[in-house]
Amino acid sequence: MTTSAAAGKYLTFYLGAEEFGIEILRVHEIIGVLPITRVPRTSPFVRGVVNLRGRVISIVDLRLRFDMAPADPGPRSCIIVVRANDAHVGLLVDQVSEVADIADGQIEPPPTLGAGAHTDYLIGIANTAARVRLLLDIDRVLGVRELAAHDAAPSDPSSGATSPGVA
Amino acid sequence: MPRPSRALLAHFDRVSVALRTLGATDLVTRAALRADVMRLIARVPAREARACVSLRLVAEAFRSDRDRGPRQPALHQSAHALLDAVRKYLTSPALRDRLALLESPERSTLAIMRGVPENSPTLQPRTSDLIGDADRKSRSDAERTGELTPFTLPEESDRALLGDFLDEAREYLESAEAAMLALERDPSDVEAAQVVLRAFHSIKGTAGFLKLDGVVALAHHGETLLADMRRRDIAFTGHTADLALQALDTLSDLVRRLDAARQGAPLVYPPGFQELLAALRHADGSPSPRRGAAAGGAPEGAGSPVRDAGGASSARVRLDRLDAMVDLVGELVVAHWMIAQDPDAGRAHPELARKVAHAGKLVRELHDMSMAMRMVPLRATCHKLLRLARDLAQQAGKQVRCEVEGEMTELDRNMVELVADPLMHMVRNAIDHGLELPEERAGLGKPMVGRLALCATQVNGQVIIELSDDGRGLQRERILDQARARGLVHADEQLADADILDLIFAPGLSTAEHVTEVSGRGVGMDVVRRNVEALHGRVDIRSTLGEGTTFTMRVPLTLAITDGMLVRVGEERYIVPTTNIVVSVRPERSALFTVGARGEMARLRQEVLPVVRLHRLLGVAGAREDPTAALLMVVSAGERRCALLVDAIVGQQQVVAKPATAGIGDVPGIAGAAILGDGCVGLILDIPRLMDMARRVPVADVQAVA
Repeated sequence: MTTSAAAGKYLTFYLGAEEFGIEILRVHEIIGVLPITRVPRTSPFVRGVVNLRGRVISIVDLRLRFDMAPADPGPRSCIIVVRANDAHVGLLVDQVSEVADIADGQIEPPPTLGAGAHTDYLIGIANTAARVRLLLDIDRVLGVRELAAHDAAPSDPSSGATSPGVA
Repeated sequence: MPRPSRALLAHFDRVSVALRTLGATDLVTRAALRADVMRLIARVPAREARACVSLRLVAEAFRSDRDRGPRQPALHQSAHALLDAVRKYLTSPALRDRLALLESPERSTLAIMRGVPENSPTLQPRTSDLIGDADRKSRSDAERTGELTPFTLPEESDRALLGDFLDEAREYLESAEAAMLALERDPSDVEAAQVVLRAFHSIKGTAGFLKLDGVVALAHHGETLLADMRRRDIAFTGHTADLALQALDTLSDLVRRLDAARQGAPLVYPPGFQELLAALRHADGSPSPRRGAAAGGAPEGAGSPVRDAGGASSARVRLDRLDAMVDLVGELVVAHWMIAQDPDAGRAHPELARKVAHAGKLVRELHDMSMAMRMVPLRATCHKLLRLARDLAQQAGKQVRCEVEGEMTELDRNMVELVADPLMHMVRNAIDHGLELPEERAGLGKPMVGRLALCATQVNGQVIIELSDDGRGLQRERILDQARARGLVHADEQLADADILDLIFAPGLSTAEHVTEVSGRGVGMDVVRRNVEALHGRVDIRSTLGEGTTFTMRVPLTLAITDGMLVRVGEERYIVPTTNIVVSVRPERSALFTVGARGEMARLRQEVLPVVRLHRLLGVAGAREDPTAALLMVVSAGERRCALLVDAIVGQQQVVAKPATAGIGDVPGIAGAAILGDGCVGLILDIPRLMDMARRVPVADVQAVA
């Protein structure tokens, strides 16, 4: 789709030591961490759902999304609520950083790394004042296919949700 | 920033699915689809006029696609892409340069429709692209000869739609009249002009479908007149304003006459109709000052009241307000429940408890009342289904007599839309696979004319819709063969008759001998079941070989509120809908046994039921493993029953069901979510789906459902 003209305002945040950015226009709000209800049979990076003022929204743990080491939410952890897939989805991040104005000239195309690197989720890499920030294409990060529930197929005995054997 | 409503988006998705599965020659589906796109256009908010233009192009794409020959699939594809683009356009009002979304798919659709290369410089939507062949023809005919086709009611088969059209037209005319008055006060009011334009446009669309040529011609000229004014930036004053008002009044008159004709009154055009058309034709060609040419055409006037078809007087309410109110009342019921449950409000203060109880009574009455406000009869849906059945039968060379019973059964209006799709699918199946050809029937000693019966009843807060045919019935052997071939059933597994029939709801299974355009593509009954279960409903099937098949669909009256039981499993809590619960018991050790490969069973109240360990199915840690220390909750869905193993019951709760997993796709076994008393989210279990899941778990694990 249209990922051109990437210049603009980005909300940046940390996952571990890495800094990421998402288009500010996609951000609905930033909230503290709420009690999360686990939803069975979803992708491991779907943490569950929370009650946001009467609305139920799903929470995606971006650390797990990017195969980073899992971490329990700390005092600086936040949920960034974005609009995706016609719904609000919360992104669990370690820490929100700032709103950065990023010009066209500062954005480099995503590098082509080996298989397994998540470069297809990137709009580009912003290189400003000695800081490198990975600009995320939120639609790809939250692509429906990627998030689709792990429905146990008829011949899928290894489904994580069921342990084999009867007592 | 206004976002499109969920209903609008659901409508988009429905059209999108229909478009994607559109075959090369199914005319009926296409006409219905086109009408559906027109309804979609009517639903798009007025400020998004640009989106309406694109949608109109989508509608036209499959009106004229028959002539496109080999380009037809490409046209469908590009219409589909355009539809998606419009959806994206509507859902991203904040996007910079969002018009760019529409331009590319519009160009490719137009290019195919006009048969020119995509880089042709002339590719801009023209009015002529947006007027269907039918009205274009009738317009040119009328223009050439100056004659009108006689004013007649639509064909018998379209009568059912006529009522809908008249209701719709009245609604449009009413809003257009109000907008017209606003325009007279402020001739530069673009919004108001848009409302009038849309009224003409939408009426023209449906009237064209019903072949009401006079209405089409009048609406078309009215539309052109206003579009012209807007394009050339002419203010809405003087002669043109008079003409537009006259056109509107006369349209109201035509609608009244059509309505009267349904009751048997003779149907003629109003006096001066021809002259008015002529004046409009002149006006939209060039601004001709022939004032008064159509003076004779002005009927009784704008002020005459619109008759209500129903007996009781009624008021029109904006749907979004009604929905918001019903939702709020639902939340109120829950909020009240939380107060009533609070120990402070109970024993310690009997006086307060009495007041809370009184408020509770009022809240419940309010709730019943608000639900009743949204109830509508199934009649319109029934008629559409019958029409579909007749058309399909004709197409397939079959003869069918349709019977309807209980068409006045009421259902939440949100539900009415949602049950229509699965029902349509079932009708297609019945006609296409169920009924035999007339010769075949004669050979079997059956009457040549097949029977399709639709019966709706309301029982215990549920609506039961039965669709039965007297066709060939389902062939167990063939279903079993297919299921075995696909590995859905072990080669040596013995299944009960009901279980065999149930297999037709499995994904990818089709019992059709031949894949036809109408059905039998292997996507079908599984989608039907999934759709119905999404409504907390259930589809079951009975079939006798050679005698016919009956589908029974059970859905709740409404989705707004669910009575549930909160259960604890390990550290998690889940809500089990009360409608599914039969009884809960702590089993004796002696009641539990294992039946070979069939897994754990429990004998409860003279009934042997499979035990489903919820914690295993849902992957919950720390749950009680020993049933005698936990609880078995007997649940039912349709004809099926099983015993769910849960740790304990926490309490009873009414909840407002919300979508649980918006944005992350469908989650099997979870029907929705609700806010619990402590503010956390609780998940509502989807019992029928859980039973399916339990059945699918390998034999050695949990076994379900006898």
